[in-house]
Amino acid sequence: MAFLEIDGLRKRFGNVEILKGINLELEKGGFLVLVGPSGCGKSTLLNTIAGLETITAGEIRVDGRAINDLHPSKRDIAMVFQSYALYPNMTVAGNISFGMEMRGVPADERQKAIDKVAKVLQIGHLLQRKPSQLSGGQRQRVAMGRALVRDPKLFLFDEPLSNLDAKLRVDMRIEIKRLHATTGTTIVYVTHDQIEAMTLATKIAVMRDGEVQQFGTPAEIYNNPSNMFVADFMGSPAMNLIPATVGVNGHGLAVVMQREAREPISLPLANAPAGLSEFKDKPVIFGVRPEALTDPEGAERNASAIATANLHIEVVEPAGSDTFAVTNLGGKGVVARLRADANIQPGSNTALAFNLTKAVFFDPATEKRIF
Amino acid sequence: MSAIASSSRQSGASTKVLNRVVIYGLLALFALFYLMPLFVMLVTSFKTMDEIQNGNMLSLPKAPTFEPWLKAWGQTCVGLTCAGIKGYFWNSIKMVVPAVIISTLLGALNGYVLTKWRFRGHTLVFGLMLFACFIPFQSVLLPMATILGSLGRFGVSLQNSIGTSLGLGNPTVNLIFVHVVYGIGFTTLFFRNYYEAFPTELVKAAQVDGASFFQIFRRIMLPNSMPIFVVTVIYQFTNIWNDFLFASAYAGTGDAMPMTVALNNVVNTSTGVVEYNVNMAAAMIAALPTLLVYVLAGRYFVRGLMAGAVKG
Amino acid sequence: MRPRASIRSHLQDALPKIVLAPSFAITIVFVYGFILWTIYLSFTNSKTFPSYAITGARAYQRLWGWTFDTDPPSSWYTSITNMGIFGFLYILICLALGLFLAILLDQKIRGEGMLRPIYLYPMALSFIVTGVAWKWFLDPGLGLEQTLHQWGWSSFHFDWIKNKDFVIYTVVIAGVWQASGFIMAMFLAGLRGIDGEIMKAAQIDGATTFQLYRRIVIPLLRPIFLSAFIVLAHLAIKSYDLVVALTSGGPGGSAWLPSNFMYEYTFKRNEMAVGSASAVIMLMTIVAIIVPYLYSELREKPR
Repeated sequence: MAFLEIDGLRKRFGNVEILKGINLELEKGGFLVLVGPSGCGKSTLLNTIAGLETITAGEIRVDGRAINDLHPSKRDIAMVFQSYALYPNMTVAGNISFGMEMRGVPADERQKAIDKVAKVLQIGHLLQRKPSQLSGGQRQRVAMGRALVRDPKLFLFDEPLSNLDAKLRVDMRIEIKRLHATTGTTIVYVTHDQIEAMTLATKIAVMRDGEVQQFGTPAEIYNNPSNMFVADFMGSPAMNLIPATVGVNGHGLAVVMQREAREPISLPLANAPAGLSEFKDKPVIFGVRPEALTDPEGAERNASAIATANLHIEVVEPAGSDTFAVTNLGGKGVVARLRADANIQPGSNTALAFNLTKAVFFDPATEKRIF
Repeated sequence: MSAIASSSRQSGASTKVLNRVVIYGLLALFALFYLMPLFVMLVTSFKTMDEIQNGNMLSLPKAPTFEPWLKAWGQTCVGLTCAGIKGYFWNSIKMVVPAVIISTLLGALNGYVLTKWRFRGHTLVFGLMLFACFIPFQSVLLPMATILGSLGRFGVSLQNSIGTSLGLGNPTVNLIFVHVVYGIGFTTLFFRNYYEAFPTELVKAAQVDGASFFQIFRRIMLPNSMPIFVVTVIYQFTNIWNDFLFASAYAGTGDAMPMTVALNNVVNTSTGVVEYNVNMAAAMIAALPTLLVYVLAGRYFVRGLMAGAVKG
Repeated sequence: MRPRASIRSHLQDALPKIVLAPSFAITIVFVYGFILWTIYLSFTNSKTFPSYAITGARAYQRLWGWTFDTDPPSSWYTSITNMGIFGFLYILICLALGLFLAILLDQKIRGEGMLRPIYLYPMALSFIVTGVAWKWFLDPGLGLEQTLHQWGWSSFHFDWIKNKDFVIYTVVIAGVWQASGFIMAMFLAGLRGIDGEIMKAAQIDGATTFQLYRRIVIPLLRPIFLSAFIVLAHLAIKSYDLVVALTSGGPGGSAWLPSNFMYEYTFKRNEMAVGSASAVIMLMTIVAIIVPYLYSELREKPR
């Protein structure tokens, strides 16, 4: 039995269904990230777990106990908010101990708990300050301290890093990961940033329009997206989703893509699964991540299926650690990821290698994964 | 080319100086317009009657005297009683303080509920309370008089049977009640708009921390509401102190008159010689509390007026 | 176990409504209930004491059927004519003067911090004090006229406060004196809220100062005009004290506004039904102005 179980959860506001039957589970000590574009229902889902919003149907269980009818304070959870929600009238110490005070914990025990948390988060020197006297990163720490001190069964994070600048965000991300590793707490974390999702999670739920699109480990989500939305949403730069058809090349199947002002290219699919032959001569969406489309020297040596094609390069973007090249296939801009020192010129025709073992296919009608 | 440019710059500079002179001149002129009545009131209140009748309204008192102020405070006639306005001044204080406190606290609670504990129909509830701020009080004046009259009679019978009227029928209590009833619309408006901008996540965080409805109000909302408290208290204080309609309708005669009614009686009394200096001193005394508030906390005063005028 | 918890949680859910309920009930009874009561009274023939037998719209017929030509001429027509004059001039002058002063003060004025409170302080005074001050100032025998005579301008004549045809204009003067500073503050806040980059862009586009205000700034202040109008309209219709203190109603009630009419007829002339009818008409005027405004304000931010 999983530690956190969400079962058929629905939430309705008047006629609008915001959560349309969510099923998720998370093992003890796991790190679940709910990710999706704004308005997908991820924050609402988090609020229902916290008890800050009621649910219309379904059940939420923690450690085998249904908690959906309990008051937030009775659920044994702690939450870190997007704005940190530090009480401006209280000191840092007051903020951290307010929850214990409300529970009637004696003052000396509160002090001990504060000291312990302050040590873990290295905020001992800030305890007597007011939130307005803290920097963004310090506020973030205090907000986490307030959650940590409760030692709850479940930690909830609502986009905790979105108010920080880029550099601090990376630092705090590492800090959260370290915290999770050392304390072994169970965390549910909401973000719209797919990099945060990938780096932090043990399990990711990609959400859209109140539904979970895919639920799995970061590797599963990244390598085996179940539909075009997930493929497009996770990964930066996004996966190339190229309109193509399934054709025949020699004795096997091939993927055929249109090029501007030139004959289409046809890449042989060496060990195509049987299922794909059903789509012969039909349109498909050919999905290939930028790193699976690169210069032939940079291509993965031990990949079993590499196909090379000569492509017209429109734009070159040197990004320091990598160089991105944009070409056009199937009427869409397609991004290739090359080594930083790759010698490539805009306007040239250059051979690029497709790593077809990493390629995926979608049905354009349903947007679902074929293979 | 450059000569033209520099000459036009020069003429530009001189029109600019002229502009400034005109602007400052106009501003000073209007400052005079606004200050004049207060100035006249003030100097007159320090003059003797003799100087008023024979002197110039605008001239400073030749022999400043406190006599009119003392007389206004302790001796002048309000109706038939000649004991000055001091009693009425205290009447106003006794009425204003409780009315301000009660209406402000209720407004704070209402604003808290209407923003942080919303329920279906909260906009309608707020709309109905808000509209109450704008009604001409003439449309409720008469029923309220009738109700207060009945309560007063009930108070008398209580007095006869159990020995206390519980405040029923007491004009000061009546006015407190009336000002609370017709003030909560404004106080609710102020607090609602303030709390609307108050981060809801703080309330959520406190809920997760286990704070109850009232604990959140007392520990989280109130300590962070100082500015709006000041604004509301000043607004209510000014409005209630300055009210004349309710005061004259429900305590228009007798010892319980508030200051505004008493002042109007002093000034419009038709018996004997009109003592303008005493009248002006009385008017100054009536104006002092609100002027003082304005001088001490003008920023909040303006903010309150704005909040009452422009919905946030 | 379960039902007990749910009773407690029900109570907790209801707590906010319980807290709000007294205020809401008070509003419903003492505002809306009383309004209905007043409307009811206006359809009776109540005189000194309320009578609860409906007698139709007699009070309204009396109000409107009684004109300047009847003898004595109608106080109601005087009141609403005064309301028209007072309301129109008061609102117009306050808006114009307020905007004018705000624009002047917005020209990076040294001493703005001193001038602003001077323009604004009359708003802290009661109508009664305002009335007393202006009554003195406008009195022909003691005030401005007398002063100018002493200064040698002996032909100066200014007795509006004693003249039944002009007394209402003295109410306008005192009213404008009291409220225009506040309107100035509203406009000034609006001016300060305008994005400076818009002004810079207009200046780069070659707009003169006058054009800048006429074409850019004043149109941007539209919401302030609306709010100021609402404030002034509502103050104008409620004005009662000012007329009492400044003019004691004016010669023969010639300075009355509908609010004075209502008070006089209800409490002094024992014509309760007629007084109620006039209150209902005042209320309807306010409703016509305020309700669309509140409706749009509260709708703008649906949640």
